Amino acid sequence: MNSAQITIQIIVALVAVACAIPGTFLVLRKMSLISDAISHSILLGIVIGFFIVGDTSSPLLIVLAAFAGIVTVFLVEFIQKTGLVKEDTAIGLVFPALFSIGVILIAKNANDVHLDIDSVMVGDLSLAPFDPLLINCTEGIADSCINLGPKAIWVIGTILVITLVLLFAFFKELKVSTFDAGLAAALGFSPVIMHYGLMTVSSITIVGAFDAVGPILVVALMIAPAATAYLFTKDLKKMLVLACFFGVFSAISGYWLAHLLDASISGSMTTVLAILFLLVYEPIITSIVIGLATTTSVIFYQYYQQLLTETGFAQFALSEKISRVFAEFVLLDYVTIMLVGGVCAVLLIYILPKRGVIYGYYKVRQQKTEIMLLVFLLHIRNHTEESERHVKHLNEHINWQRLRSDSVVELALKNNMITVDNDIISLTEKGEEFTEKAIDYIITNKDTEIEEMKDDFFLFRG
Amino acid sequence: MKQKYAITVDDLTVAYNYKPVLWDIDLAIPESVLMCIVGPNGAGKSTLIKAILGIIKPIAGTVSIFGKSYKQQRSLVAYVPQKGSVDWDFPTTALDVVMMGTYGSLGWIKRPGQKEKKASLEALEKVGMLPFKNRQISQLSGGQQQRIFLARALVQNASIYFMDEPFQGVDATTEKAIINILKELRKAGKTVVVVHHDLQTVPEYFDWVTFLNVKKIATGPVKDIFNDDNLTKTYGINYKVSVQE
Repeated sequence: MNSAQITIQIIVALVAVACAIPGTFLVLRKMSLISDAISHSILLGIVIGFFIVGDTSSPLLIVLAAFAGIVTVFLVEFIQKTGLVKEDTAIGLVFPALFSIGVILIAKNANDVHLDIDSVMVGDLSLAPFDPLLINCTEGIADSCINLGPKAIWVIGTILVITLVLLFAFFKELKVSTFDAGLAAALGFSPVIMHYGLMTVSSITIVGAFDAVGPILVVALMIAPAATAYLFTKDLKKMLVLACFFGVFSAISGYWLAHLLDASISGSMTTVLAILFLLVYEPIITSIVIGLATTTSVIFYQYYQQLLTETGFAQFALSEKISRVFAEFVLLDYVTIMLVGGVCAVLLIYILPKRGVIYGYYKVRQQKTEIMLLVFLLHIRNHTEESERHVKHLNEHINWQRLRSDSVVELALKNNMITVDNDIISLTEKGEEFTEKAIDYIITNKDTEIEEMKDDFFLFRG
Repeated sequence: MKQKYAITVDDLTVAYNYKPVLWDIDLAIPESVLMCIVGPNGAGKSTLIKAILGIIKPIAGTVSIFGKSYKQQRSLVAYVPQKGSVDWDFPTTALDVVMMGTYGSLGWIKRPGQKEKKASLEALEKVGMLPFKNRQISQLSGGQQQRIFLARALVQNASIYFMDEPFQGVDATTEKAIINILKELRKAGKTVVVVHHDLQTVPEYFDWVTFLNVKKIATGPVKDIFNDDNLTKTYGINYKVSVQE
């Protein structure tokens, strides 16, 4: 790694954390799309700022851009309050209007200013390390400035520090006004102030991240880490920490993905974010799909290379860059590839929260077995006479298929809930206790007693 | 001698988009009563509470709590919003929601400490929700969520309690438990104002009643004014309710 690479990674990591914090609250307030609106209308602020000072690096541009963001929020709310249209429509009305004013202003007055569409839309980080913050410059003398390092780090670093200070100071107020605005107002924590405070911080963060990731992907950096963290935890503090972690993780790995593929950094970061979200949302299927896709592509590549050397069609060879990537990183034998892929997939499925389609099937099946177990245990408990407790009797009396009754007996034995003596089943102490508690729960619906049982049984998790 | 009132409302008018939802309300609620506000849907019951608490700005009229404005008396008032007004999927625990009740006395920036935690645990115990203190709030039943809200109001240790439909969607056991706590509060000299829907239970639960339908119809002790005449005036149809003696 050279110093430019390290600088870029520091910038993306700072941007990710700065975005994830306000993003978490936006997600919880169901205001995700506001960040999209802000990220577009700040263009108007930047353009107006440029006309005032005639310089693209003035801090006034950031101030005006953030102000444009707040104006967006205000206008959206104003239109929404008329009761004529809903919030999403109001958002759709406001930001294209402000954005288009910015576009017209550029077209009419600033045609000579170089505005690269690509770098405006998706940001451009590759030059950030070479744009230093210079202070104490004496006019006319070259190299008289003190070089403070890359400007982007200073800008986003300052924004992050402000965000963190505000978060620590007003965490309680943010939490209560997000959860219950009515209570916050009654307690004297004006939800309006908290709302516009959050919007101001979001606007400034979006402006700061604009250079790095552009207006479209900054939305992904605000929303995706928070949404992923929301699936993971049910604790606001943990959600904030996890959102920052997911943001930084996808920023750094997105950078290296871009490096490997020779593609846009912000595009790769967002791709990683999307994969992360899918992994948490549907861990089993996503793990399998990603595992299969990587292994088949690696194996296919090796097969393709072999074919090329045999037939000698050099013009069909993959580009040198791709070949080198594969050669460096994944030219292993098939067995190792599949083994590593398999282990990774299993590990992911294990640590990720339990949700998704396949897990749903598993849960329903498991619940079915558990209810069978309970019916079985109850039967044993209710009948003292031996004829009712005979293993063979289960099929006739409870009217189950042989296969199912066998598996239920097995499950009960495994859990030390019954003992089988000469084909006569009797409950153990543990089985007795379990049945008692379960029946109690089903009748009274009081779940204080079975807190510890919830970990072992799907049945009681509701 | 003039009677001491907990809440006085003078000429209160509230409008949404220039359409009045509350029209010229005069109300004087004495101290230490358990009062319900009844009226049809859209009568402005919740709006009245919100206007008293300053959550909605009225276009005319004044509200005073023990003779002073609400802003000065904030610490004397606790509020339980409708259960449906918040997102129960919010990532937090039962204990944490109850702790929010202590935020008002803490003021800005200060964090809740051990003292606030202890008070919150006591409030949870009072409503019978202590075993659920670490439960994620989305994992609670409707009745349990309502109890959590009640505990959050109790922890504020206020003199006046406002509750917006606390019996909505709760089972009979929870309803009994809640009304018992409210009755205890009144015994302790607190004033409780409840938005209520079930007319059958009014005489059993409350001792003071306000009939509301955009305008105030009547207010006073249940035994004096809870009659068919006022009910008919409020609900607009011939209403018959059997008042148990």
